[in-house]
Order: sequence, then C-alpha cells, then structure tokens
Amino acid sequence: MSRLKQWWAERVPVDGEQLKALTNEPVPNHLKSWWFCLGGTPAYLFVVQIITGILLAFYYQAAPGAAYESVEYITNQVAFGWYIRSIHKWAATLMIAAVILHQIRVYFTGAYRRPREVNWVIGMGLLLVTLMIGFTGYCLVFEQLSFWGAQVGANIAEATPVIGGPIKHLILGGESYNERTLSRFYVMHAMILPGTLILLLVLHIALIRLHGVTEFQFGNEDPEKPQTFNFFPDHVLSELSLGLVLMVVLSALATLWPADMGLKADPLTTPDVIKPEWFFYVSFRWLKWFPLTGAVLSSGLIVFSMIVWPWIDSFLRRVTKIEEISVYIGIVATCLLIGLTVLEAVVAH
Amino acid sequence: MSLRVKQIIIAVLGVAFLVSLIFVQWLEVVRRQTEAGIRPHEIAVPDTSKQCVDCHMDLTPGLIDHWKGSTHAEKGIGCVECHEANEGDADAFSHYGQLIATVVTPLDCSKCHEEEAKEFAASHHARGGEILASLDNYLAETVEGCGRHYEPVSATPGRADFGKVNGMASVNVGCKQCHGSLVALQTTDGELVTYKDLQPDEDGIPTNKEILSKIAVDKEQSRPMYDASSWPNTGIGRLNLDGSRGSCSACHSRHDFSPRRARQPENCGKCHLGPDHPQKEIFEESKHGIAYRDLKEHMNLDGDTWVLGKDYTQAPTCATCHMSGHTRNDGKITHDPGERISWTNRPPISRVMDTDEKGDAIKETNAELRRELIKDTWQNKRQRMMDVCTHCHTKSYVTKFYEQYDDFIHNYNEKFAKPGQMIMDALAKHKLRTSVKFDDEIEWTWFYLWHHEGRRARHGASMMAPDYAHWHGMYEVAERFYIEFIPQARELCEIGHEEGKAAGAEEVEALIEKILDREEHKWFMSGRKPHGGEGDHSEEPDDDGEEDEAGDSDTTAGSTEGESTEGGESDESDETGDEDDAGESEEDDGESTEDGDETDESEEDETEEDDSDEPASE
Repeated sequence: MSRLKQWWAERVPVDGEQLKALTNEPVPNHLKSWWFCLGGTPAYLFVVQIITGILLAFYYQAAPGAAYESVEYITNQVAFGWYIRSIHKWAATLMIAAVILHQIRVYFTGAYRRPREVNWVIGMGLLLVTLMIGFTGYCLVFEQLSFWGAQVGANIAEATPVIGGPIKHLILGGESYNERTLSRFYVMHAMILPGTLILLLVLHIALIRLHGVTEFQFGNEDPEKPQTFNFFPDHVLSELSLGLVLMVVLSALATLWPADMGLKADPLTTPDVIKPEWFFYVSFRWLKWFPLTGAVLSSGLIVFSMIVWPWIDSFLRRVTKIEEISVYIGIVATCLLIGLTVLEAVVAH
Repeated sequence: MSLRVKQIIIAVLGVAFLVSLIFVQWLEVVRRQTEAGIRPHEIAVPDTSKQCVDCHMDLTPGLIDHWKGSTHAEKGIGCVECHEANEGDADAFSHYGQLIATVVTPLDCSKCHEEEAKEFAASHHARGGEILASLDNYLAETVEGCGRHYEPVSATPGRADFGKVNGMASVNVGCKQCHGSLVALQTTDGELVTYKDLQPDEDGIPTNKEILSKIAVDKEQSRPMYDASSWPNTGIGRLNLDGSRGSCSACHSRHDFSPRRARQPENCGKCHLGPDHPQKEIFEESKHGIAYRDLKEHMNLDGDTWVLGKDYTQAPTCATCHMSGHTRNDGKITHDPGERISWTNRPPISRVMDTDEKGDAIKETNAELRRELIKDTWQNKRQRMMDVCTHCHTKSYVTKFYEQYDDFIHNYNEKFAKPGQMIMDALAKHKLRTSVKFDDEIEWTWFYLWHHEGRRARHGASMMAPDYAHWHGMYEVAERFYIEFIPQARELCEIGHEEGKAAGAEEVEALIEKILDREEHKWFMSGRKPHGGEGDHSEEPDDDGEEDEAGDSDTTAGSTEGESTEGGESDESDETGDEDDAGESEEDDGESTEDGDETDESEEDETEEDDSDEPASE
C-alpha cells in the first residue's frame, strides 16, 4: 500500500494533508441551521439538472417537426425516460424556488452589505440566469404554451424602448418564431446559460471563501464552546444528507406527478389562456396591470433596483436612519411576490 | 432587530412562499388533468342560473348532471342564457322571476353560435320539416292514420280517458321526430297557433299581437301549452314559433351538447337508418365502419378540436365526411352537409347537385338556363368531398371509385327509375290509376322500388356497402320492377280496356313495350311472346328454360369508397311521391365521367318531378 501511495504521490504531487487544511475551513456555527442550507440546495439541484439534462439530450431533437415527438418518445418509450424527464422538470422548479428562498434569507439577514455587495450582484446574475434557463427549458418541449409563451415573451421584450427589436430578434432568431428558434433556445438552454451559471457560481463561491461566511450570532451562544465547526466531515455530511433528502423529494414528486405531454404547439391555434411558467407569474401579472411599455420599463427598473440593492439599502439607512428599513421593504416585496404569483395562478386572464 | 426575529420573518415568508408554490403547482396539475380529460372540467354556475340549478337538482337531477358535464357549464353558460325569452315571445312565461321559454331554437343558439346557425339554416337539414305536405307525410297521416281525429271502433278496456282517435299519431311519433314538427301552442278556443299565425319578425318576436292573448296557459305556472302533436320534438327541421327552422339538439343532444357524441355515427343513426335510407347500417357494413368500430378509442373523440389529418386519421364517421374540418380546409367545420354531396339520391331519379341560391338541386334541363341558375356546382361539391377522401386514399383510388359510383347511379336511373316514372306518369295521365295516393297497388310497388330499394341501392353504392348496393338494393329493385311493377302496370291497362279507356291503355302498353324492347330489358321478354299483342291481354306463361339464375351479379354497385349521403334535403312537396318527403338528400358525388352521361340528364323527363295527377309528357 505504501508503495502505491508513493507511486501516486510522485505522479500527482498534491499533499492530502495540505489540501485538507486548505479546504477544511472552520464554518460558523449558524451554518448548522437549516435555513442556511438554501445556498447549497440550488447548487446541488443544478448538478442534478446537468446529469438529467445530459441524459435527456441523448434523445431530444431541437427542430419544430421533431421536438415534441422526441419529448414524447422520451416520456413514453425510453426506459425510465419519464422518470428522468420528471426529475428534470421538478428539479427545475425546486432549484428556482431554492434560489428565491436563498435570496430571501440573504436579504433579510443583510448578508449583502459591505463588503459583499459584488457577491450580491453576482447572486442576482445567478437568479436571472436560472430563470432564463427555466424559461428556455420549457420552450424546448414545444407544447402549445411552449410556443405561445415564447412568442408572448419575445413580444414583451420587443416592447423595451430602443433595444426591444434587437432583443426579440436575438431571442427568436428572426422577426417571429421560425424553424431556427428552437435550436437557438436549445443552445441557450444547454450550453450558454449553464456555462454562464457555472462561471457565476464559481465566482460566487470564491468570493464567499475569500470574504468568509458572514457570521451571525443569535445572542444565546455559549462563549466557552467553539464558534465554528469543521467543513470536513461535518458540513459536507450535512450537505450530503440534504442532497439525499432532495433526491427522495424529487423522486416522490417525479413519481406522483410525472411530467406529461400537453397539446403539441400549433401556430394556427391560440390557446384560450396563455401563461408562462410559475416563476414568471409575478411579472406576467405585473405586466397586465400597466400599458406594455410602462410595464416593461417598470419591471426593468425593479430588477435593476434589486441588482443595486446593497447601495440603495445603504442610502436608505443613511437617509431614514431606520436600520432595518430593508426588512420592512422586504416583507412588502415578498408579500407582493407571493400575492401576484397566486393571483396569476388563480385568474385565467 | 435580532437575528432570531429575522429568522422568524424568513421562516414565515419562506413557508408562505413554499405553500404558494405548492398551490400553484397543484393548479397546474389540475389544469393538465383537465386538459387530458382525466379530471372533469370545473364548472361555473352563473348567478342568473343558480336558482334553476338548485331547484332542478332535485326535480330533474339527470338534466343538471348532463349540463354539468358540458362545455356550456365550463364556460359559465347556464340555464337562463339559453332559455331566456324576450318580452312578447309567444311561448315566454315567467318562471321564478325569470322570463323563459321551454323550447330553445337555432335563433337562441345563434346568439353565441352565429356562424353555425347560419350554415345550418342554409342546409337541407333545416328544411326537414317541409315534409309536411309530401308523399311520405301523406302515408303517415292518411294511410297509416287519419288527417283528423276519428271515432274508435270500440272502447279500450282500462282507458276510459280515450276519446276520439288521434289520426296524426303516426306522424307525430314517427316522421316528425326526425324531420321536425310544426311547433304549435294551444289556444283558449281549441285551435292551434304556429309561426304562420304569429308571423314573427327577424328577431323571432310575433308581429301578430292579437293572437297572443288567445294562447292557452296552464294553471300552475301560467306556462303556454304546447300541443302534443308538436312537442316534445327535436326534429332537425322543426318549424319553430320564432320563425327559425331546426333544432340544434337534434345532433347536439341536450343538456351536455356533447361534441363527442355528435362525432359518432350513432348520433346520425337516430334518423339516418331504416329500410328507406339505411346510412347507418351501410356505414357499419363498410370498411369505414369496420375501422371505426375497431379504432374508435384512438380517434380522439373527446378532443377540443377534431380535425381529420391532425387530431385523428384512423377512420371516418358520418361527421368526418359530411361536416367536420380537415387539414385541407384549415379545419373548418360546416353545418351544411349538402356542401360536399354531388348526387341527390332522394328523389326517384337521382339528380346532380348543381344547386341554386336556395341550395336546391336545379331541375332545369336547358343548359344555358341551367348555367344561369347555378350557384354551386356538383363538381365543387365533389371536390370538397374528395379533399376528405384523399386524407387516406390516393386520388386515383377516389376517382375510380367515383366512376363506379356514377355508373351505378346512371344504371339505376336509366334502367329502372326513368322507365318507372314514365310508366307511372302515363298511367296517371290516362287515368288508369286513381288520383288518390296509395289506393292502387302499383303505387306501393313504385314507392318500394324507388323510395326503399332504390335508395338502399344508391346509398349502398355511395358508401361502399356492396350488400346494400346489390342484394338489398338493385336485386330487389330489379325484382320489384319486373315481377311486380310491370305486371301491375299491364293489369291496369287491361282494366282500362275493360272500362272503356282503350286509347289510354294502348298508349301505356305501347310505352311498356317500348321500354322492354330496349337493349337492357330485352332479356326479360326473350322467352315470351310480346305482351299486349292484338286481342291478347293475358299474362304470358313463361319458362322456356332459357332464363338463367341471376346468381352472380358482378356488375352491381361497384362501391368502393364512397360518400355517405345525407343532407336532409327537403324537396318540394310532391303528390305523386315522385319527390319524396323532405328530409333526406342522399347525395353522392357522382362524377359522370362517361361520355354522353351529361346529356342524358337533359333527356330526363320532367316526370321525375311530376305532381301526381298531371299528365307527364315525355
């Protein structure tokens, strides 16, 4: 055995002890709480998406005449195709939900504040890329809502002043949905956006490691006891446990409510009700309340505000002298998010 | 604010978010299941109809259950939306605070289904009620019943309530239930009020207001009383009080108005079956019917859309060929089945469906005059039908079928129908038969020949049912013609001689001989002496051993793929019965590809349209 170790050490000159010391950074105790696992959850689910996505990509064909049929083939013919597809679908939902919950946690704990503003911006980038991956993913199924959702989405984008036309052209690969649009969505969904997400994720985690995790104290900690715990094996095991729980949840969801096939996209038949996926319900409902250009601009303003929130927060605290003003704004914003989402789900138009 | 408080805020908002997510996902699952037909649609009872639903759930739960399963219920169309009456409507009455009418007419349905109502109004289905003065009606009214109430032979034990006999019973329960009744309200003075008396305007409101006060109402609910002769009735050509024609629920059964049902042949089979127009039986015999029976479950009958070539391709039903949309016409449905039919096989002699403004087959024989009258040609109609056929069959297949079919119709017309009509007209002209319908045996024989067997043959050919085309069809036509019709005509001639109508009798005899001397009939006389030779009025004994068994008739209806004939064409009333009751137009695409076939039409006697007693000129 020692000869084998020696053979390996000669060829891969990495000292295990050094590596362990480098990575086994002490983790603040608050990270033992469940609500601080919300960052790792979407990362884990992203890995699930990559694996299931690759498996789906073996069969998926990104052409209008074949896309729906290939998804149908996966669902009905491929061994365990329905399972993999359903896992992929539910993991997407859970991933977006986890990202939002993670952002809620970071927001309300003020973990975006100086010097972590840049990481907040990167996190916003992760949110937007995740939403885009979800959007493009559903478009690939080529069901009625896939087609019409893309059409409506592109039309909404077109309403952006000045750059709306080019954006629409970029999304659809033409003035309207055409035979090249689907392959464009596929490239975005399977390559560009995941690649971007990986890059942002690396930056996100790197900055966390460089800054260190924001330490939080509940005030009832025993000062005699250690304030940190080991990354290896404790935190890793926690994360693995969480991963297993997520797999069970995903498996249950995939089995109980598997992904099915809706009606195939028909450019000649407009559905009675066109809705995007649930994670865009809030913005869809918002858009229905205002004239289109105003709605698009206001939506853009809201997103921009979210991106630069650390600086807005700093400004507001300085001006109003209310230290927790962000908490109150956050409560209102979250209630609005939930309310608009539910409203859009319940109401047909 | 402490971290604990923030933790609680995050927990509450996080849980609320997750719960909302679960709710949203549940709604999505429900939506998908509803779309897939696994879950029944949510229904919306509009406020105006809540009371109706609540009460009728107890009174007529089946009715409400049916409605709940309908698209109407899903879209929030309740009771009042359809049954709502206008102030001044003849059959309106106040019912628990709502002004309603019992009978819902196409005019009511057109509030939402304008296009469909318009198409239907232009169809022959809508004119099905015009049977009322036709030969078939005479049969039901007079021959089977009596045009009025009459005295019974004796009392019926146990039914002291039976008074005079309703001579119209056969019509009311038979003909009118398919063709449609003339809806009538009872009056206080024992009369009946119909749309003719009410003279409704285009909105269905009576303009003859005086008569409204005479309408009898029941004591309990002050509801205008329909006469039992006219209601209940959902005949397809019902003549409604508001002036509209038809009943949408003839095909779209209330109260679920199921499109699934309307797509199935059994739906049409309520009326389109039987000895005189066995379309349902013919369909069942045909390969189309066989395929349908086997593959019905895969035909997406519950689909929101039902477009041939897109939603299903397994087999056609009646609706497929005659009404439904397909990929070649952008999925457009028509409620006028006549649009795709190019032969009308309803009359004694089939006619091509060059139709005029009103949708009637043109009878004009002069080519130029005919051209001026034509609004839609039989060729256009055939092409529309071929657009359906070619979803499954190649063009050459379809074209060759039409050749077979046209030949069949042509043979029937020329060999039996025209000669038969000519003989009947001649007998009438020379008063060798009475003017009273159906009192001569030959009238029944002729009726069976063209109305029952002749139609069976033609329908069988049009819809590819060989047995109906031949054994139930042309075989029986031939037998009827040679073994019954001709001898009966000769017998009437003999009687004519005896009664001093020799001249007329001789003319008819000469006509018969001329017909039988034709090439196609020569076989019949080949073993006999010529009948009607001088002094000889007796039947010739037959059987010189030369007749062969007519065992194999290979040449009968070459039905392959054909056209179901439908249409409910209501023809002009016609006392001879030459034109039959309104209500059926068996119309097939008869592509006359044979030379000279077209000209034969112009040689057709007007006798086919003859009105009973008028002498027919050849």
